[in-house]
Amino acid sequence: MAQETVDGLSRARPDNRSVPLAWRNLVSNKRRLIRSSAGIGFAVLLMLVQLGFESGFFNASLGVIRQLDGDLFVLRASKYRFGDEDPFARRDLDPAAGVAGVASVVPLYAAWQSLFWKEPGGDKSYLVQAFAFDPDRQVFLLPEVNEQRGLLQQQDAVLVDRRARPFLGMGGDARETEINGHAVHIVGRFGLGPDFMSNGTVIMSEQTFAGLLTGNRDSAAALPAEFGVIKVQPGADITAVQQALAAALSKEVRVFTKPQLIAFETTFQADLSSAGPIFWMGTLVGFVVGMLISYQVIYTDLADQLPQYATLKGMGYGTSYLVRIVFEQAALSAIIAFVPAWLLCLLVYYVVGQLALLPLHMTLNLTLFSLALTLAMCLLAASLAIRRVVTADPAEVF
Amino acid sequence: MPLHIAWRILTHQKGRTALALGGIFIAILLIFVELGFFIAVPQGGMLVYDHMRFDLLVTSNKYIFQAESWQFPRERLAEAGRNSGVAEASPLYFGGAKWQDPQGGLRLDIAVFGFAPQARPFAVAGIENQTSILERPDTVLVDSQTRSLFGPLQAGRVVELNGQRITIGGDYVLGTGFLGLGVVLANEANFFRLFPNRRPEQVNYGLITLKPGADPDLVARELRGLLPGDVQVFTRPELAGHEVSFWTTRTGTGLIFGSGLIVAFVVGIMVLYQTLATQITRQLPQFATLKAIGYSNAFLNAIVLIEAVMVMLIAFIPAFATAIGIYAVVRSKTLLPVNMTAIELGGVLAATLLMSVISALLSLGRLRRADPAEIF
Repeated sequence: MAQETVDGLSRARPDNRSVPLAWRNLVSNKRRLIRSSAGIGFAVLLMLVQLGFESGFFNASLGVIRQLDGDLFVLRASKYRFGDEDPFARRDLDPAAGVAGVASVVPLYAAWQSLFWKEPGGDKSYLVQAFAFDPDRQVFLLPEVNEQRGLLQQQDAVLVDRRARPFLGMGGDARETEINGHAVHIVGRFGLGPDFMSNGTVIMSEQTFAGLLTGNRDSAAALPAEFGVIKVQPGADITAVQQALAAALSKEVRVFTKPQLIAFETTFQADLSSAGPIFWMGTLVGFVVGMLISYQVIYTDLADQLPQYATLKGMGYGTSYLVRIVFEQAALSAIIAFVPAWLLCLLVYYVVGQLALLPLHMTLNLTLFSLALTLAMCLLAASLAIRRVVTADPAEVF
Repeated sequence: MPLHIAWRILTHQKGRTALALGGIFIAILLIFVELGFFIAVPQGGMLVYDHMRFDLLVTSNKYIFQAESWQFPRERLAEAGRNSGVAEASPLYFGGAKWQDPQGGLRLDIAVFGFAPQARPFAVAGIENQTSILERPDTVLVDSQTRSLFGPLQAGRVVELNGQRITIGGDYVLGTGFLGLGVVLANEANFFRLFPNRRPEQVNYGLITLKPGADPDLVARELRGLLPGDVQVFTRPELAGHEVSFWTTRTGTGLIFGSGLIVAFVVGIMVLYQTLATQITRQLPQFATLKAIGYSNAFLNAIVLIEAVMVMLIAFIPAFATAIGIYAVVRSKTLLPVNMTAIELGGVLAATLLMSVISALLSLGRLRRADPAEIF
């Protein structure tokens, strides 16, 4: 190992800075490289998993909002989160159609605390998230919902989420079950997935919804709506339409753009759910563990290569050159360890995502953020370990 | 003899050993924290039950978990009361209400328990010494963990619950568990004013206390034979098993913290392996010398194994002490039952020993390469 490094040096003159010394130090001992990459890599994996879970938890509750096909959303002003039942009188929506720039207004009905789904073939009933709308109109972006929504015209027909938690039995091929003790027909399935609050989702027509809630299908017209889903005319300025709508509608309701609706739910989750702090703590622990591991790794490497560093010093290289090499080596270790950890993480996300029904996805943000953490971790460790090189005395080493 | 050598190795370079201990300390601490969450988070579902007075719980046969309890006919409690082991069977009502400030603002979801204050269903000092307040009309007690979103919780504030003007009579410290953002307690009359569609004949939970000396398992069996199929009877351990398994298996909770636990375990092995391998590399000449003077490979392996276990045990003690501190902080912040019980202690100790053995075995390969002829 020492031989290789010295060979590398022998071809370099003191003023030649082009020798990739940090790289050669790193790869001179493959066994050690694998060992240190494994150590740093696991710390990286720990951070990635924790960060992924955190965003997965948030994304789960945002998944359904992202699938809504609207530019603007009307909701009751006292609503504190997307998934609480706080509907408004449907007539409050009437002035919206007359506002300039509005192309369509569709009332969306929803329930989170009112509909109990009976597990097909089982005997237990569970609360489910339910959405209802006029099947002739498009409210969701989910292609499977739009292809099958025509079937919802049939009496007591429902579409169900095949990615719902398994105990609800929505994923199988059952065609018949009950909601609130009333027989319903499963006419199709779509893939959405559960979140913190709801285990599964059911979609139906307004009439079926009214029938399940009140026992009277014909009461649909009198049902209060949870959302007004509004599309603006092509080319219309969404913000201007939003302001016009807010002016035209009752003070009982407010109007959000889609990003505002997502921000509204994100704020609620961040402020009130305890999942955020738990995962941040996990990430911090991963960072600290990673720093300890990389300190250990870098310190050992430096100790092993002390004679070489001392030699460099003896040849006349300045401390700043050595410092640069150490930091380069630390940064390279970070990147080399990051790649396999990132790849392994894709597998972890896939497996855990399938099992926990969480939307765990590797994103560019997640990649860049964790790479930055990894670099910070290794460079911090290097700055702690560097004293050893700076004080290397050529005369003492040999 | 290997023990002695292992000890000498550890004490030879104290700074280096301290560094290794630091790394392993963090790894063990991480396992403690993840295990604490893994066990405690599902138990958030038991928090409120743990502070209720009952030996047996009667629920509807449709019962899912505490906040999705369904209802059963109140007469089942009278029927249960005929069993010779039952001292008292009292109803507890539960509902979800909307909370809003009379000035307007958000309409927030809050959980409401209704009960007869004299039945004293909650074993919480802050509730028991405010029984007289609970008996006032249109007055509730509010859990001090109710989120700040609900505004000030001070006694005397008037709020609207389901559109009714209700006075906060005081607060108590229990915790909201997994019941949502806030919890209030009301007497039966106030409860049914808040929920005009509910009837006292339909009960959410039946709290059964037994006569002194009665065996809960025996009485539970008798009640199951006596009562119709529309109810089920839980003993306290059965209820804990049911709620914890609901949160562990039916939600993502178990899997998330379970995978955190596994990752912590693997990171621990990596840290320890790293440390041991470094130590061995540094002492390779010494190990080779031992080999040259006739010590067997088994002897050298024993040294490394003992060193690994020793390092783990030494790091375990401060990690254990720190974990107790962290548990206390988490407990006070979340009111989750994060406790250092025999399960946490034993589980982490076993995991720790397993980790040290695995990492020692991993690093033995390096020891075999100790060739006396090559070193010198």
